[in-house]
Amino acid sequence: MTPLLDLDNLSRTFGAHRALKGLTLRVPQGLVGLLGPNGAGKSTLLKILMGLIEPTSGTGRLLDVPLGGDRDTRDNWRLRRLIGFMPEADALVPGLKGIEYVALAGELYGMPRKQALRRAHEVLTYLDLDEARYRAVETYSAGMKQRAKLAQALVHDPAVLLLDEPTSGLDPSGRDKMLNLIRELGSLHGKSIIVSTHLLADVQAVCERVVIIAGGELRGVGTVDELCARRDDRFRVRVGGDKSHFEDALKAVGIEMILPTAATELRVVLPPGRTTLDLFRIAAGCGASIRAVLRDDVTLDELFRTATATGAA
Amino acid sequence: MTNPTDPLLRYRPWKGELNPPVYASLAMARSSLRLLFRRKVFWALYALALMIFFFFFYAQYLVVWIQQQAASQTVSVGAVPVRLSELTKFLDKLNLNGSPHTFGNFIWFEGHIVMIVLAFAGAVLVGNDFHHGSLPFYLSKPIGRRHYVLGKLLGIGAFINLMTTIPALALFLQAGLLYEWKSYYVDNFPVLLGILAYGLLLTVVLSLLMVATSVWVRRTVPLIMIWSGVFILGRTVANFLVEVQNFSPLWRLVDLWNDLYLIGLWFLQADFGSNNLGSNPEPWQAAIVVTVLCLACLLYLRKRIQAVEIVS
Amino acid sequence: MSTAVPPSTAPLLLLEQVSKWYGPVLSLNQVTLELNAGITGLVGPNGSGKSTLIKLATGLIAPSLGRVTVRGRDASDWRTRHSIGYCPDHDAFYEDMSGREFVRAMAKLNGFAPRDVTDRSEAVLDRVGMVERADRKLRGYSKGMRQRIKLAQALLHDPELLILDEPLSGIDPLGRQEMLELFHELAGQGKCLLISSHELEELEKLTSHVAILSRGRIAAVGTLQQIRGLLDDYPMTVRVALDDPKELAKHLLGIDGVIGFDFDDTGRGLIIRARSPERFFAGFQTLILDKGIEVREMEPLDDSAHAILGYLLGGSGKT
Repeated sequence: MTPLLDLDNLSRTFGAHRALKGLTLRVPQGLVGLLGPNGAGKSTLLKILMGLIEPTSGTGRLLDVPLGGDRDTRDNWRLRRLIGFMPEADALVPGLKGIEYVALAGELYGMPRKQALRRAHEVLTYLDLDEARYRAVETYSAGMKQRAKLAQALVHDPAVLLLDEPTSGLDPSGRDKMLNLIRELGSLHGKSIIVSTHLLADVQAVCERVVIIAGGELRGVGTVDELCARRDDRFRVRVGGDKSHFEDALKAVGIEMILPTAATELRVVLPPGRTTLDLFRIAAGCGASIRAVLRDDVTLDELFRTATATGAA
Repeated sequence: MTNPTDPLLRYRPWKGELNPPVYASLAMARSSLRLLFRRKVFWALYALALMIFFFFFYAQYLVVWIQQQAASQTVSVGAVPVRLSELTKFLDKLNLNGSPHTFGNFIWFEGHIVMIVLAFAGAVLVGNDFHHGSLPFYLSKPIGRRHYVLGKLLGIGAFINLMTTIPALALFLQAGLLYEWKSYYVDNFPVLLGILAYGLLLTVVLSLLMVATSVWVRRTVPLIMIWSGVFILGRTVANFLVEVQNFSPLWRLVDLWNDLYLIGLWFLQADFGSNNLGSNPEPWQAAIVVTVLCLACLLYLRKRIQAVEIVS
Repeated sequence: MSTAVPPSTAPLLLLEQVSKWYGPVLSLNQVTLELNAGITGLVGPNGSGKSTLIKLATGLIAPSLGRVTVRGRDASDWRTRHSIGYCPDHDAFYEDMSGREFVRAMAKLNGFAPRDVTDRSEAVLDRVGMVERADRKLRGYSKGMRQRIKLAQALLHDPELLILDEPLSGIDPLGRQEMLELFHELAGQGKCLLISSHELEELEKLTSHVAILSRGRIAAVGTLQQIRGLLDDYPMTVRVALDDPKELAKHLLGIDGVIGFDFDDTGRGLIIRARSPERFFAGFQTLILDKGIEVREMEPLDDSAHAILGYLLGGSGKT
């Protein structure tokens, strides 16, 4: 199968600033999370993928459309037909009704007028915007706005969806709904989806693979399972009762703790020879009861931090 | 949440030929018109525009009727007998006789309504794209920035023509029917071309100016201030300079609407002497001013739309 | 939140029987909430009245019924403003100002003497990590940088009560960690932070004390464990992974609170359903220590903020 992304030494400079420094990577089709701190070159990469700017050097392909190298504006349009882009900005056209907005998007993609309208209805039904489609878009709730934005990206049935912060501003139930949609579009309907986000939890929830870039360089690429190594010696422990006593008791027997932790948890490293049973024993010894013991695999959070930190040095 | 129809409503793929980007500009123009005619507030202005049209329409008829049927009759106005033709004297100023000036005047008046509507509509049509971040919505589609500008210009242009050129053409048609229609249409064919040219001029200049100013200030209130600045203040300043300070008539070029009117009359091949235009600059001077303005607008648009970040 | 309040001191933020409606639209309905030093998360679906509660607490609007006080003084009193720092959700900046100019302007509005303005502004900019980037125009700021500037201006007058509306949205994961540390530090100084957020995972890293709003009412306040304990209708489910689940299963029913269990698909785990978590966990701990059973993992499946919110709001058709 054609890879979703195949970049070879892709670079882009803006004056003296090198936004992308020779990115080489290959990502198969599927759900991909694109991670990176602000100023990492993420948005430059997205713009190149959408054919909005040209790479300064290097070549690449998104499915079978070339990026950079020998190409013309027709390729830019091919790219943007291949991609449905859901922007982070509000991006609604105030005054238009939901259905008109999505149909307009279809026509902008080049769909014939009547097909665009029919398809807009279909996509809105799929995204659960039933009655709301006849209301003006500016009256939508945050969740509906996000789905309307997804609808306008999906209207021409693109092979690739590019979602920029798809869950921003959504409440937990709205977020679940959006994540479920993304998962379903990817796994059930065979769309390749690139999710660019700051919310690592979202990526963990829906993406098969992650690409981490920082400082314009590739810092990690692979499946989430591959990258987040299993750790059998680290545990996240939650206790009922007084956490600080338990913490002291652990320190007393020489069990290390690592940071950062959530407010309710302790992260412990068990030295060889010690098992979780010891944790229960220590807890019982200081009158606390353990409520959770979880293997503390390398999280995406940690991965992200180490990946982005190496370049700073 | 699950109900039996769910499997039927699941996602379906779509296949089909996609049109070239120019079609996108047409779609944008259509949705711009839709936005313009959806606002209820604007309908008051449309009614006003229609009133002006009907005023010209019936007055033109009235003038002919009086000339032919009742020119010599008198009516009593407060016991003073007045000849009917005297009563319609005030209409002479508008030249309601199917001459080039008729259409020049008509467009001149309708133009005011167009300007007011456009001043209000600027924020709706263009300002919002910048203010609410709708630009990424357009520019992430397979169209270039020029297609975006073209789409907006087309929408506004269609609107301007709907308010000026098309009713002017109706008046032209009517004028022909009121006089000897065969000779009128043949003799006045250049006028027809003039109307079309004037309409085209207004379309290009006003839509460019509107898109540019809306991109610049984005919100309704400042937009109205700018437009009234350009069109009302420009006129006042021009009058003050020329008539009170006795500066050269060239200063009238400050008044953009007057410039457009002058070029329009020139297109209509109207006789400059026959109307009480007073001292005015030459049409070609006005044309230079307008061209420079249009170029400035285009350059500005190019710069601003290039600078838009689609992904931030 | 367990910090003792001296009896002489009134609560930091107190909402008493507060209702608020806009015309006929009811936004908050008889809400009573008392906050003291520490971090409290404010969660709830969109439209549940969160932003109204925040506006009331900052004194921006007055309640239709009831009373909002900060340290015993009415929240809308101008003197109270000195004790409240507010970091709003939306930004309304003068886009042509630089971040530093904006913070300095805010410092002047706060009434700092001219010589203090610079000191205070630089101090807060440093605190939010924006010193080097403060001279750029606000127009060019990323969402995360905007959040930091908003937070900086809220910290200017060193308020006791900090109200932060979605302070983490748009910040990248590295910045997020810095912010979380800053919040911990502020809470450590005895300040009260009320933080609204949709990102429950992040909020849980910060605090376990939450107030859950639903349809204009406080559905629950307390630590997540306390709130979970109140949800009697939903027995807790705990997944336990170990080498020999059958051995554990033999003894399980003897533990207080256990109402049932299943073997999971892997054959290496048990899903236990239990009531009254206090007694269950104590009993479970005693059991495995007695029998010397080594547990690989033990994970309550439904005590996260996310799950609790789902249970609390599930009935309202909001899911």
